[in-house]
Amino acid sequence: MAAAAVGGISADVPIIHSENLTSNVKSIYYSRTFLSIISGVVAGIWGFTGLMGFVFYFLVMMVASLGLLVKAKFSIHTYFDSWNRILIEGVFGGLMLHSHIPLN
Amino acid sequence: MGFGHVLGVLGGALLAHAAYATIQYRAVLKITEEEFSSPPMDVMMQLLLGLALCIWAGLAVPAKFLSVLPHSEENRIVSLPANMDFMTFNHRGRALPSDPELKLKT
Repeated sequence: MAAAAVGGISADVPIIHSENLTSNVKSIYYSRTFLSIISGVVAGIWGFTGLMGFVFYFLVMMVASLGLLVKAKFSIHTYFDSWNRILIEGVFGGLMLHSHIPLN
Repeated sequence: MGFGHVLGVLGGALLAHAAYATIQYRAVLKITEEEFSSPPMDVMMQLLLGLALCIWAGLAVPAKFLSVLPHSEENRIVSLPANMDFMTFNHRGRALPSDPELKLKT
């Protein structure tokens, strides 16, 4: 709701710079894709299988969300239109990349 | 190659080394016929360090966030063009009212 007041023209439709928003979301996708691969590698080496692997993946994604929050300097509405962009964007897409490496 | 790239390469190298060490550890376990539960302590430390470095790199390397607010300071496009020598002020625009809000981007 805080973004709706921007511009002072309309109370319902927030005015945002859509090119910059696309760039920000793309940046988030890059981060999440890379971290999905890395978390898959670490889980594979450590020997996490089954449910433990999923728990580990979501743990890494939570840390990544915190990191993104720090990267956005804790002011979400300056860089994004909603909290979901930082918290869940790309998490379930990256799940497919989080595969285990058989070592033996 | 920025600082983030260096961290990413370092983290990737650590993970690769940890993977190699785990493969050797598993080979030893196969000879002594024991079950693998988790890699040895130093490999786990390497994994955690490599993961931390890669998370740092993954957050730092992609493009910086840009402000989406239309009136924020970095979204102002008020600045002088590069070819100042060819600017003319003695034209019909002088008759039009100028915008006092207009200011240079510093």
